[in-house]
Amino acid sequence: VLQGTLDIMVLQTLAALGSSHGYAVAARIQQVSGGRVQLNMGTLYPGLMRLEQRGFVRGTWGATENNRRARFYALTPAGKKQLAAEKREWSRMVTTMQAILSEPS
Amino acid sequence: MSAIREWLRRLRGTFHRAPEDAEMEEELRLHVDMIADDLKRRGLSFEDAARQARLQAGGIAQVMEQRRDQRGLRWLEDLIQDLRYGVRTLRRAPVFTAVTVATLTLAIGANTAAFSLVDPLLFRDLPVRDPGRLVQFTERYPGDPPLNMFGLENYAQYRDRNTLFSDMVGLAPFNTESSAGSEPVGAWVVTANFFRFLGVRPALGRVLDDSDDAPSGAPPAVVSWRYWQGHFNGEARALGSIIDINDRRLPGPVHATVVGVAERTFSGVTASMRSDVWVSLGAIPAAMRSRAGVALMARLKPGASIGQARAEMRVLYQPSIDALAQRDPQWRHTTIDVTSARVGLSTPLTDQFGGPLSLLMAIVAILLLLACANIAGLLLARGASRQQEMAVRVSLGAGRLRMVRQVLTESLLLASIGGALGLVGARFGATVLTRIMTSGTQSPGPPPRLEIPLDARVLTFTIGATLLAALAFGLAPAIVAFVSAPASGLRQGGGAQTKSRRVFGNGLVIAQVAISLALLSVSQLYIGHLRHLRDRSLGFDRDRVLLMSVNTSRAQNRAQLAALYRVVVARLRAIPGVDSVAASGMTPMSGGASSAFLRVEGFIEPADDRQRVSLNAVSPNYFLTYGTPLLAGRDFRDSDVDQPRRIIVNQALARKYFPGRDPLGRHVWLENQRDPYEIVGVAGDSKYNDVRLPSPPTVYQFALGSGDLSLRTSGRQAALADDARRLVNDVFGPNSVGRVTSLAEQVDASIVPERLLATLAGFFGTVGALLAAIGLFGLLAYTVARQTKEIGIRLALGATRGRVSRMVATSAGWVVSVGFLLGAPAAFWSTRVAARSVESLPAAGGGPIASAAAALIAVAIIAVYVPTRRATRVEPVIALRAE
Repeated sequence: VLQGTLDIMVLQTLAALGSSHGYAVAARIQQVSGGRVQLNMGTLYPGLMRLEQRGFVRGTWGATENNRRARFYALTPAGKKQLAAEKREWSRMVTTMQAILSEPS
Repeated sequence: MSAIREWLRRLRGTFHRAPEDAEMEEELRLHVDMIADDLKRRGLSFEDAARQARLQAGGIAQVMEQRRDQRGLRWLEDLIQDLRYGVRTLRRAPVFTAVTVATLTLAIGANTAAFSLVDPLLFRDLPVRDPGRLVQFTERYPGDPPLNMFGLENYAQYRDRNTLFSDMVGLAPFNTESSAGSEPVGAWVVTANFFRFLGVRPALGRVLDDSDDAPSGAPPAVVSWRYWQGHFNGEARALGSIIDINDRRLPGPVHATVVGVAERTFSGVTASMRSDVWVSLGAIPAAMRSRAGVALMARLKPGASIGQARAEMRVLYQPSIDALAQRDPQWRHTTIDVTSARVGLSTPLTDQFGGPLSLLMAIVAILLLLACANIAGLLLARGASRQQEMAVRVSLGAGRLRMVRQVLTESLLLASIGGALGLVGARFGATVLTRIMTSGTQSPGPPPRLEIPLDARVLTFTIGATLLAALAFGLAPAIVAFVSAPASGLRQGGGAQTKSRRVFGNGLVIAQVAISLALLSVSQLYIGHLRHLRDRSLGFDRDRVLLMSVNTSRAQNRAQLAALYRVVVARLRAIPGVDSVAASGMTPMSGGASSAFLRVEGFIEPADDRQRVSLNAVSPNYFLTYGTPLLAGRDFRDSDVDQPRRIIVNQALARKYFPGRDPLGRHVWLENQRDPYEIVGVAGDSKYNDVRLPSPPTVYQFALGSGDLSLRTSGRQAALADDARRLVNDVFGPNSVGRVTSLAEQVDASIVPERLLATLAGFFGTVGALLAAIGLFGLLAYTVARQTKEIGIRLALGATRGRVSRMVATSAGWVVSVGFLLGAPAAFWSTRVAARSVESLPAAGGGPIASAAAALIAVAIIAVYVPTRRATRVEPVIALRAE
């Protein structure tokens, strides 16, 4: 996973899915990316934890459809703001890169 | 913002671990199970799905560890863990811990105590504006202590004529003697520009200003913050109060009127004398101003150097020398010096103790070094037995740096305990030290008082010393922990020691022996010097004389004084245990002294080399009271009142002025006197004012009753003292008796620096030797324990026990010998340095080093003997089975 992209991917997924547990986030990212991004636990959970420590997501315990205890993560207002900011930053970056790369060599 | 929040959450995470660990694991398990469920839905078997899921997800344990690191503050978590572990380790070895902590307490405590004394006297800047530009003037005459005392007219001259000082002040302590019970006030008379000069502002009221110098019956005064708090409870009504100051030299008490309180940080211009009240120059009556002397301080103009100031002051001072030299050519040798007053005004106390205290600082620093070497050795020996533990931890995945941190944490823990206890001990130690130091000063002025604050500087020093110590003794074990390879540690099962460690251990012993030798030599030097001073024949009986200072000013004239004195003597003699009574102008080693040139017919001295004779005015029975023999002629008699021009001289005088002739009946002249004196007796030599110097040629004049009383006693002096005080007060009036002390105390008080150094050096020298013994003992015991297997094999192969003990003793003896070899030059050098820093100490010979070496050899023999004995007790079978 590209450095610095994990946070924005997780935040965007949570924004799309609403409150969900870690596996759902990983599965969704894998699905949306067409299998190109596979998050293992060692990447995902520390990432979630970091987001929680920064106050962008909040984790609460709930039950899955199979009635197992799971930790559900949801965006906080600060997280929404952060997502918006990161999206802006990202698209600016993409525009810049495109401008540079489209110059004829 | 979010960074702080993250940090706080991590901090919380550090302390709430156990419940979250379980939840974290549950979350991860769910993840793996869900992958497995997905895979099963795609048709994999149960086992395959579970295995595939684990592979895909990564290990739970690793993720847990990663998340744990992230959850809390790793370093803090580790530190807490290390501390817990350290406490457990220390508790498991209580003797080791006790010895180590005691050693550190002593070493750090001694350093803190010494520093808290040295700092205000020698290092700390005065808390005034720009202290670096302050200078003081001192008059120096060869052989005399430097003196900062100048006439008021000199002050005015120097102030007006100099070009290098922006301002100059004069100040002098009042000679306030305590009446019984009440503590005397530390009062100073200062020129009115004093506070402006220093940049000290008032906390209340005003400070002095230039108009305050005029003579006044109620001169304005400023009190210190502390005095204000202590005597006026910090209330504003202090302003306008009168403080009475009694100084014998003034015609009457000074009624100082409080006009202000100095700002809190300011407590005078010297740490060594009490400063409660600063009274304006108005306290000195106009008639006495020409005789008044003040200490001078000045502030250098920007750009002016002390060297320039010195040169200028030499020129300005020259007229004074010329005037003195007209009276006596000897005064040509006088010079004036300008020195920095950045840390405050020099006083007899700072002059006297500056050298000894610096030396003390060096001694305790060496002691700390020794303590560190010692503990490093003990830790190392112990570390060897912990090698297996370390090896196990490393092979279980502990990082090397993590191990180093663990070891250093333990060292820090030990040092911190020692440092904290040392700080407590230092408060006590410093108090005792100041009491010893101030016990001897009898110079006029406010009683000396050393401020020993427990302030940020002292605390910083202690913490610094503690950290340094921890690093010093923790470094070697830490390095060992770093290089400990798990494989060899496990394989050898803590067997043979590595060569590098043995060399290092031996190095520590060598260093300890060498340092202890130097330390002990210095302490032997001082102890020997003190014994020498004590044993030197004083020429009087120090143990049987009780001294009383008496204010006889109530007697109207000489005749009345003589009459009163006769009454006192008769009544004192009636007290059981009082054998004889005498009065004298000065008492030996009291600090007061007078001298004059003596002219003897037929005896010619070169003008530049004339020497004064010491003077004392004594009553009949003076020599009997002091136990000084009369060698020829007779003692004074009461009837000599009518024949005052008769004197008794001592042997030194007779030897110098009447070599080979009989001095009895001869006539001599004292400086500036027309009529001759007739010598009627020759007394034995006795010390006059300094036990370090030979007895000076002395003239005893006759006086009946003036001066202080001396009582020769045969009972307990403490019991007699009260009776005697009451009785003398009855005759001379209430409170006429001042100080009552024994002659022995007075003599001891005159050699306080020597006593202080001898006591401290003796104490620290002994501690140092003890440390060396513990270190030696510990390392040898450890060496022998390591060699148990080797010894077992040797014994099994037929070596005799004598051979084995020789082997052990030889290797130990070799190490100790190298220590002595290296220690000898160090001891030689340090005794030379030590001898130089104390006046009157004769150049050191080899004696102190020899006796120190003897003591250390005895210690070393014991330290070697016990482990050696244990070595020979080894049973071969048991030793070999220990594998």
